[in-house]
Amino acid sequence: MSNSLLTTTDLSISYGAVKAVRGSNLEVKEGEVVALLGPNGAGKSSTLRAIVGLIKSQGSVNFAGHDITGLPTERIVSLGLSLVPEGRRLFPNLTVSENLMLGAPRKAKSDDLFDDLLDRLPILRERLQQVSGTLSGGEQQQVAIARALMSQPKLLLIDEPSLGLAPTIVDAVYQLLSDLRKTGLAMIIVEQEVMRVLKFADRAYAMSTGEIALEGSAADLRTSDEVKRVYLGGAD
Amino acid sequence: MDALISYLVNVISLGGTYALLALGLAVVFSVLGLINFAHGELMTLTGYVLLAGILTGQPFWLAVLVAVIAGGISAALMEFAAFRPVRNASGATLLMTSFAVSMLLQVLFQNGISPRGQAVPVPTWLTTSLSIGNSQISKVQIMSITVGVLSLLALKFFFDRSYWGWAIRAAADDFEIVGLMGVKASRLIMFAFLLSGLLAGVAGVLWVIQRGSVDPLMGFKPVLAAFIVAVIGGLGSLTGAVAGGFILSAIEIALQTWLPPNVMPYRDAVTYTLVVIILSIFPNGIFGKKSQEKV
Repeated sequence: MSNSLLTTTDLSISYGAVKAVRGSNLEVKEGEVVALLGPNGAGKSSTLRAIVGLIKSQGSVNFAGHDITGLPTERIVSLGLSLVPEGRRLFPNLTVSENLMLGAPRKAKSDDLFDDLLDRLPILRERLQQVSGTLSGGEQQQVAIARALMSQPKLLLIDEPSLGLAPTIVDAVYQLLSDLRKTGLAMIIVEQEVMRVLKFADRAYAMSTGEIALEGSAADLRTSDEVKRVYLGGAD
Repeated sequence: MDALISYLVNVISLGGTYALLALGLAVVFSVLGLINFAHGELMTLTGYVLLAGILTGQPFWLAVLVAVIAGGISAALMEFAAFRPVRNASGATLLMTSFAVSMLLQVLFQNGISPRGQAVPVPTWLTTSLSIGNSQISKVQIMSITVGVLSLLALKFFFDRSYWGWAIRAAADDFEIVGLMGVKASRLIMFAFLLSGLLAGVAGVLWVIQRGSVDPLMGFKPVLAAFIVAVIGGLGSLTGAVAGGFILSAIEIALQTWLPPNVMPYRDAVTYTLVVIILSIFPNGIFGKKSQEKV
């Protein structure tokens, strides 16, 4: 449990003259669930996108013993990192089945994995031949997570899993994440619903204007006055 | 009835060629966000390779096959030599590059071969006609319909059933996320150019056989039409490219058949007025994505 799976060292991201992230140091251990908190524009999504190589960054990123700094996204994915992007970003004109199969570069193993995922998400089995753009938001989120799992990641990065979903649907999404955690999958979850994710995660980082302002166990942060003040307007 | 049959034959044969060309543009647009105006020169190049094959006495089918393959390989080389070095540059740079490649090839054809058109001797069995009812349909048209329809069906199968077909369709939806699926971006782009070159090759062969000649500037008009087709269908939409091809062909052939002779000189103006009307009803093209659909 204590081996480090991902570390970012002095990670910085700039958009032109604007520094979105300044010198952030993150760590995720094997099997650990880490929450990444912060208001809009704090640099959370940028951090996830930089880790998987979708945007350029300075500093270094180490994953499972490999220096993945500056590698192309497809190499990083093949090493066992996967991202569920903000807004889900399914391919709307492809069917559910095509979306999932496209997520599986190693074809040999993918049939078993496919069945296993569908056992976990029985709703999707009925929707396999449906064009994914016509699914409900909750179903799309489940497909997005399932698609990210097709590459058999060791670490799943999830950007705003509850965004735009009704509370009961969010429960279902977190139930799925909870099942996945039992398989030993490590996660970084970016989430606006601070209390929900702090109840779920092991540890958390709170970002503010591009820097990590706070870090600690999720239980500690849940009772921290600082977190209450910044994210919850002083109320629980 | 006969007028209708010959109208439909003309629409399908021209529409199939437009659809193949527009699909070639759409496939590259999906991966690079670029309308490749050098696409027309791939057609021209195919035409010259076909001519060379026929003049050197190769069997017709072999000359056609080599010409189509030459289109595909040239497109892949074009990607490697011209577009790869500027891949991360702005859209304007890519567009300028495509014009530069287009003009470079035109000048090479003009100075290296001849500025004038060359007759392409089509086998005699293709020059005869068949009678259906009272209307005469040339074998060239029958071949062009058959090849066009079969190519479109083969493409549909490829896009629906194969991993690379899904990857191209996915790229049309959201290119950035395709990389997240573990698909190698540079391989996908190279593949898209290869496919678009093969499509330009098939369209080029059909075009040259119908005209019976090839000249250095031959590709310009059809690629312009294909661009309009892609816009009518919705830029980046593969279904739209096919639909747009048949729509533009239906309009052009209808005007050519039924426009009174004294209005005929304004045919293109009428065509494009209709195109503008279509676009004012469907600003993003008929199958286009709405631009602001992010949640």
